[in-house]
Amino acid sequence: MTTMAHAPTHLSEAASRSKVAIWWFLASEIMLFGGLIASFVISRLGGGAQVDHSQLNVLVAAVNTFILLSSSYTMVEAFACAARGDRRGMRMFLAFTVLGGLAFLGIKAYEYTGEILHGFTPWAGTFWSFYYTMTGLHALHVAIGVIANAALCVGARLGTERPYRVEVAGLYWHFVDIVWIFLFPLVYLS
Amino acid sequence: MTMTATAPHEHHEAAGFFRTYLYSTDHKMIAKQYLLLGLIMAVVGGFLSYAMRWQLAWPDTEVPGFGFVGPETFNVLVTNHGTIMVFFVAMPILLGSFGNFLIPLMIGARDMAFPRLNALSFWLLALGSTVLCVSFFVPGGAAPAGWTGYPPLSAKAEYTGVNWGLNLWLLAHAIEFAAFLLGGVNFLTTVVTMRAPGMTMGRLPLVIWQQVAAATLFLLSVGPLIAGAVMLLMDRLVGTGFFIPERGGEPLLWQHLFWFFGHPEVYVVLLPALGAALEVYPVFSRKPVFGYRWIIWATICAGALSFIVWAHHMFVSGMDPRLAMPFSITTILISVPFALTVFAMVASLYRGSISFELPMLWGLGFLAMFTTGGLTGIFLGSAPADIYLNSTYFVVAHFHYTLISAVIFGGYAGIYYWFPKMFGRMLGTRLGQLHFWSTLVFFNLTFFPLHWIGIAGMVRRIANPLQYEMVAPHQWINVFSTLSLLGLVASQLVFFLNFFLSQFRGRPAPANPWNATTLEWTAPSPPPHGNWGASMPAVERWPYEYSAPGADRDWVGQRAPTVEALLRGEGRA
Amino acid sequence: MNGTTMTRGYVIIWAWLLLLMTLSLFASTLPVSRAAIVTLMFVVAAVKAVLVALHFMHLKLEQWLIYAIAILPVLLVLGLMVALFPDFVLAR
Repeated sequence: MTTMAHAPTHLSEAASRSKVAIWWFLASEIMLFGGLIASFVISRLGGGAQVDHSQLNVLVAAVNTFILLSSSYTMVEAFACAARGDRRGMRMFLAFTVLGGLAFLGIKAYEYTGEILHGFTPWAGTFWSFYYTMTGLHALHVAIGVIANAALCVGARLGTERPYRVEVAGLYWHFVDIVWIFLFPLVYLS
Repeated sequence: MTMTATAPHEHHEAAGFFRTYLYSTDHKMIAKQYLLLGLIMAVVGGFLSYAMRWQLAWPDTEVPGFGFVGPETFNVLVTNHGTIMVFFVAMPILLGSFGNFLIPLMIGARDMAFPRLNALSFWLLALGSTVLCVSFFVPGGAAPAGWTGYPPLSAKAEYTGVNWGLNLWLLAHAIEFAAFLLGGVNFLTTVVTMRAPGMTMGRLPLVIWQQVAAATLFLLSVGPLIAGAVMLLMDRLVGTGFFIPERGGEPLLWQHLFWFFGHPEVYVVLLPALGAALEVYPVFSRKPVFGYRWIIWATICAGALSFIVWAHHMFVSGMDPRLAMPFSITTILISVPFALTVFAMVASLYRGSISFELPMLWGLGFLAMFTTGGLTGIFLGSAPADIYLNSTYFVVAHFHYTLISAVIFGGYAGIYYWFPKMFGRMLGTRLGQLHFWSTLVFFNLTFFPLHWIGIAGMVRRIANPLQYEMVAPHQWINVFSTLSLLGLVASQLVFFLNFFLSQFRGRPAPANPWNATTLEWTAPSPPPHGNWGASMPAVERWPYEYSAPGADRDWVGQRAPTVEALLRGEGRA
Repeated sequence: MNGTTMTRGYVIIWAWLLLLMTLSLFASTLPVSRAAIVTLMFVVAAVKAVLVALHFMHLKLEQWLIYAIAILPVLLVLGLMVALFPDFVLAR
């Protein structure tokens, strides 16, 4: 195969490009969530958005936090496996990550259902508007991450995976995790 | 692990129409697509401004070719003229087209870092433009809430009577932001990772520096506005109350989020145009750029400052008056780096052997007009003066002097300069001269008098100035400005004619028609797919080596001679 | 880099993250003022975020450019928040 000679440099170039690109993308994502969270914080401190603690299920949210933190761990393990060529381990850890993401989304949907059934809809007040917008936007990001990780998992089965893609997907996934690290105390605890 | 990756850029065979013109991943074709889209949208935006100006000169009369305007339609015209010109003309041409065309060619790469993502960016933008154009034809008409879309007016369909027009307007923005976010990531990644050997950041042409700065500003400023747009859309569609006072919302929050983006956005549009002018000056004065490093640092300083000046758009919004002074100070401060850049431009021209070729005319026009616009900015940046002038036609005149100097003068400087490289033919000189001089004259006749009528008290976004006693005596200015606008529009028709004719009848362009030094002029005109043929360029000096003492001619290119050329005994490329 | 040691490092970080999460859950029961509790929670959140960024996102192994790309927007968000204070918090 004549293309074999090109492949290693081509791959490492693609890896460094993708890494720079995803970091720039994450920078704009920080601004997106940052703008939203800054608006919420300001509204909270100004008295506009008062948290209705009685209606939020802290325990369920804590379980969700646990799941997302752990899925971040499995994601980084998936990359470690990919980096040392352990395809089996990579598939396994990616599958765990996907399951973690799906569990997070399922639990979030369960929470939403309960709240809406009690009449706390997005238009039930400023806090609830922010609550649904922030967690909804976050959940959308989780869903995109789940799709990306699932695609990588399938790719690993077909043998088309590239370690750098796992790294890029991982960087995105950890970012989504970090957003939740701030949303959790912001919405449920403080 | 099996490696199925193929070496990049091995497909050089002739591609079909679809792959060449529609689904192309070649950065040069995508640049042309952006240019075409920008020009088409410029026609739409220009047509809206014609109807708007006609209504202002002769209120409530039938506008030829448009029909009756009246107050409701006037709001639609104002809103969409602004939106189209900033987001769908200036950005596609100055960032999309120039950035895509120049970045790989000037840093010595074969394409952008992510060619398919690049094509996706363009087609997203095309989709966004389509959505915006469609919004004119939905029931209720297009968005009428101003290009800034201030709530509460924009937050509820009942307030404007327009439901889907405004929703689609927001959707078009969202798509446009996504397109330029992906595009910006692509630009920055390309410049960071794909420069030719020897092309250090200290040897990067200034226009590439400006593109980098513009893309960075866009990426870092647009997030809060996207957040705001999501919130506004939720207000409109779901019934939340982020910006609606009666539901406990804060309309002022939108203004902060909007202008946090809005002010950097001004520089997103300005910097690429500044860069184009900076490329043109040394070539047509045969002199190195003055203060290369100073200009770069000035750009970085201005970019950083642009994030802390936004509230100067809000001096009369009812925001906390304690914010007025800090934001006045930062605003006055930001004129320092730009003044430095303008001085560096003038010094670059000083005692050069200036030749008034078409790109240079536009470049000089940019300098003159931008300085004029910048000077009126000092009035508007200080809160006491702004409280009187805010929302008058003085502001309209100010931002048309800054934005038109960037988009029209800077943009045409770039188009006339790089047209030979882009299309392989020279633009016609005679029509070009007519285009430049008539644009310069009619532009000033259209917009300079608006300063006066603004000081006289005519405010923006009013459909019928005759209803106001204090404005009515100055109505002749409106009539004069509208008549001049007709001339300005007609001048652009000259350009379209020239652009079209030169595609077929223009003199074939040599590889380096202007004796310029930067890398793109060492590729054939137009460059083939992959740009450089078999041998990749290497760089051995900075980009502005003109009239160097001891050299045998008055320019020395950036590109190091290839081994083959050296073996043949030829000099530098 | 040795794969097994890296993995052990990740497990340790994971354990820290879970510990800190538990800490912030029980912070509200501490016998201190509400402001102190909230401050503690956000300090804990920031520490967690930094742990994830440095170790899981490998920021500690990156060059200065990546650091800059990561830190600049954080500073901008903080700046935006500060600038919004007069209008929406201090005005009350």
